[in-house]
Amino acid sequence: MTPTAIRAEGLSFTYPASARPALDHVDVALPEGSFALALGPTGAGKSTLLRAVNGLVPHFTGGTFTGRVHVAGRDTLASAPRMLADVVAFVPQDPISSFVLDRVEDELAYGMENLGVDPGHMRRRVEEMLDLLDLVALRNRSVRTLSGGERQRVAIAAAMAAGPRILVLDEPTSQLDPQGAEHVMAALQRLVHDHGMTVLLAEHRLERVAGWVDVALGFDEGRVQVGAPADVIRSLAVGPPVARLGRLVGWSPVPLTVRDARNAAQSHAIGLPAAGNGHRTGDIVGALRGVTVAYGDAVALRDVDFGVREGEIVALMGRNGAGKSTLLRALAGVHAPASGEVRVLGRAPRPGVDVALCPQEPESVLFTDSVENEVRATLEARGLPDAAAPWLERLGVVEFASRHPRDLSAGQRLLVATAAIAATEAPLLLLDEPTRGLDPDAKQRLVRFLRAHAADGRGAVIATHDVELAASVATRVVMLAGGEVIADGDPAVVLGDSHVFAPQMTRVFGAGWLTPEQVAEAMA
Amino acid sequence: MRTGLHPGAWIAWASGAGMVAFVTTDPVYLLLLWALAWFVYATHRVPGPEARSFRLFLLAALITLGLRTGLVLLGTVNPSNVAFAFLEGLRLATILVVFGTFNAVTDPFGVVRLAPRRFHEPALAAALALSIAPRTVASVANVREAQRLRGIHVSPLRSLPALAVPVLEAGMEQAVTLAESMDARGHGRGRRSRYRAQSWSRPAAAIAASALTAAVVFLSASFGGWAVLHPPTSPLAWPETEPILLGAIALLALPGFVRGGQG
Amino acid sequence: MSVALHAPALGSPAGTRARVTLLVLANLVGAAAFLWPFALPAIAGPALENHKMDGPWLLFALAGILAALLLLELGRGGLGPKTVALLGVLGAAMVALRLPGFVAGFSAMFIVVLVAGNAFGPAFGFLLGTVGTFASGLFVGGLGPWLPFQMVAVGWVGAGAGLLPHGARWRTRLLWLAAYGAASGYLYGAIMNLWSWPFLVDGSAWAWDPGASAATNLSNYLRFYGVTSLWWDSARAIGNVALVLVLGKPLLAALDRAARRMHLDLRQV
Repeated sequence: MTPTAIRAEGLSFTYPASARPALDHVDVALPEGSFALALGPTGAGKSTLLRAVNGLVPHFTGGTFTGRVHVAGRDTLASAPRMLADVVAFVPQDPISSFVLDRVEDELAYGMENLGVDPGHMRRRVEEMLDLLDLVALRNRSVRTLSGGERQRVAIAAAMAAGPRILVLDEPTSQLDPQGAEHVMAALQRLVHDHGMTVLLAEHRLERVAGWVDVALGFDEGRVQVGAPADVIRSLAVGPPVARLGRLVGWSPVPLTVRDARNAAQSHAIGLPAAGNGHRTGDIVGALRGVTVAYGDAVALRDVDFGVREGEIVALMGRNGAGKSTLLRALAGVHAPASGEVRVLGRAPRPGVDVALCPQEPESVLFTDSVENEVRATLEARGLPDAAAPWLERLGVVEFASRHPRDLSAGQRLLVATAAIAATEAPLLLLDEPTRGLDPDAKQRLVRFLRAHAADGRGAVIATHDVELAASVATRVVMLAGGEVIADGDPAVVLGDSHVFAPQMTRVFGAGWLTPEQVAEAMA
Repeated sequence: MRTGLHPGAWIAWASGAGMVAFVTTDPVYLLLLWALAWFVYATHRVPGPEARSFRLFLLAALITLGLRTGLVLLGTVNPSNVAFAFLEGLRLATILVVFGTFNAVTDPFGVVRLAPRRFHEPALAAALALSIAPRTVASVANVREAQRLRGIHVSPLRSLPALAVPVLEAGMEQAVTLAESMDARGHGRGRRSRYRAQSWSRPAAAIAASALTAAVVFLSASFGGWAVLHPPTSPLAWPETEPILLGAIALLALPGFVRGGQG
Repeated sequence: MSVALHAPALGSPAGTRARVTLLVLANLVGAAAFLWPFALPAIAGPALENHKMDGPWLLFALAGILAALLLLELGRGGLGPKTVALLGVLGAAMVALRLPGFVAGFSAMFIVVLVAGNAFGPAFGFLLGTVGTFASGLFVGGLGPWLPFQMVAVGWVGAGAGLLPHGARWRTRLLWLAAYGAASGYLYGAIMNLWSWPFLVDGSAWAWDPGASAATNLSNYLRFYGVTSLWWDSARAIGNVALVLVLGKPLLAALDRAARRMHLDLRQV
């Protein structure tokens, strides 16, 4: 019988000064070598369980703890987190924040230094980790110069260098583009299949991970359901688009990957989708003509022509570093182009007046003590009448009006930041990577808001590599690569043409099919 | 940076040279130190922002010299007093120049790594502050731009909270993640070991020894009184120089002849 | 069976009476030692005349020893990851603020020590002052012989901020902090000036006189201070007050919330 790597028995936990329990009578037994996924809405307890595995809950957090958790046979209540460092490796959500030293190689050795491992052994382990996570070329680099995917792998290697056999990760792919996410998932799979590690990760972007794991933990208000991924995903009504489609048309089991969906769809022929998307668009709101932007010697945008009209929602796509953020900043008027011209409403853009931008880290604009005050701060700065309520309604955050913005979840904070920024009443709204760490509920509210915004005759540009978001809300898709526009047109065409950026529906049914709802309707 | 001289050698050099400057106001010795400090800087400077600090220290040294001498003008002015003030200023300025060299040739992380075991945690905190600082600076720039894009300008004092609060909050969230990560990686667990600790090379040891010798020679002259370390200013007279002391100072030129492997 | 655990306090608990006594004593001795230019002439008398030029290095040695002792004592039992992480992040803020906004003696980095000391207590305030000053010295390339001296001085500013009364209302807390910001702005300058003052032994009315009484030396020093750094320090004092009044409340609120998010039990500090 395979030994149990992680066992929780009757685990209940309540944070200090909290009314309701974060975990409610949880029973989990994960055998060694499992590749497990924790999924569920924000606040349902995923992060808490992850931290209960390495002892941060309750030793770091305090609180009321009932039941027992055993990791590799050790009782987490009896051992402080530092004593479990050689058994469990923990990779938090934002790896750059967890780095202690500057050089990659030193970072890998840090954990072992804490454990007093002798220098010769440390040398060998560091070399092994560099090979295992494909980091040899990066060993002397400063961690600050690495890409998101590279940082994630360094964080994994650093946590594992001390020799643990159990790896716990909190949303490892949320900051990564599709390619980066795939590399990390492939590395994790190698660890499980070739090296017998036990991996437990929490993730929202189920389309990226659902097909890789072999057991799922579904979280709902502190209670956990353990089972095969297909079953858990079906019963919790979450999942990648193929799963949503499966539920809509009644397939059983619910498909988790494109391949599963193609098998299930063999018998259904649905032909080609209806052409056109019937969006009404008006005059040009913002445009770039022949714009080149350079940071010192590095050219970020090269002779770019780009336009957005009233009523349009443009999805700006491309891999990390392709120039999406630069284009937005040029359009917003904060970065002057080296050549070419930028026009919003026919003149040079005034930031905060003609164009408003929600940055990649939406928290960086939140500074007041209530959601309502956040919106009012913008209204006051712009000299607009003090009526915050309509904006709160449009973004679906009225229920949080008096809450402190920093107490909200990542998705809710994004909605608040968007409300504060949209309150400038700028006719052109720009969003930079809005779906990082966003749970499905917040995503829905954002989509609803964007559609209303476009219907009002305003324009929006969203830089994203969330293919499914683009598929569901964009009226036009523009693709950037190496600072140049390589595609510009109808989402059905542009996304249908791409391999990497094709939505799941396109991959199953062919170009032109964008959302599960669209396909389900055609099948009916 | 581990290929360079052990930072301890530099600390010894700066301390020794600083000590020598402390105990004398003889302009011959002091100006000789200036020359040596510049020589060592020129041969060992690390390319990058640290090199700029030498110029800053030089500037500070000259300003100090000027201020000290200028103070005299507020009182009775005669050649004696001016000379006295000038020499006092020169001593202070020399110390500054020596440390200017030290700053320009050492790697800050290397200095922190040297901390003895008992000081591991404060030293780690200092190292963290150094590595997180660039991110804080970037955060300030990002927040300022982000607020501008929602119509809030952070320049007037009144709107400083719009800049300061998000930067601090981001820092606090980072602190939580960092603390969790450190805890989970075994911080404070017990006796630590050192990964690829830098060892003392022969040149490094020689530099430390020569600096120590120079300091000892001068200290013995100061306490033993066998040489004139403070030339008389009333009446004004040319300073005497003792060959032994000149030789001691010359020892401090040793780093300039040693290849550190940096730069 | 349910276990209720209090999260570890910030830093190592400073609760035992003996420890607090030791810390206070060490600080008093340190303060007394810093004031040697006033006291020592009376004690050492004419013997000091021969070594008047060597006096100042005594100060550096003392500052270094004091800083080391206090750090060791505060760190006894281990600071723990939470304290180290907070010191790192707030120290980074001090480093980042060291250069910009540098007008005369004013340095924005003081606001960090003031609010952090006020929010997290005197032990943390002292630690942050020491560590942050050291780190910014490393960063700016300003490692000089005055550094231990400066570390202790900024540490004292931070510790003092932690000893201020909080009161029930924000206004009370902020007014105390603003007043302290002004006072510490001047005191810090006065202390820092003290390191170079004894070099000036030319018999003028603002010079140090190794043969004079404490009272004479004190008045000499006040003259010296008035001539050299009064304006400098006024800029710092005014800057501190302004920042406390504008940023005090939001920053303190953010730190208090951070303490809660880190699950810190501040009563134990």
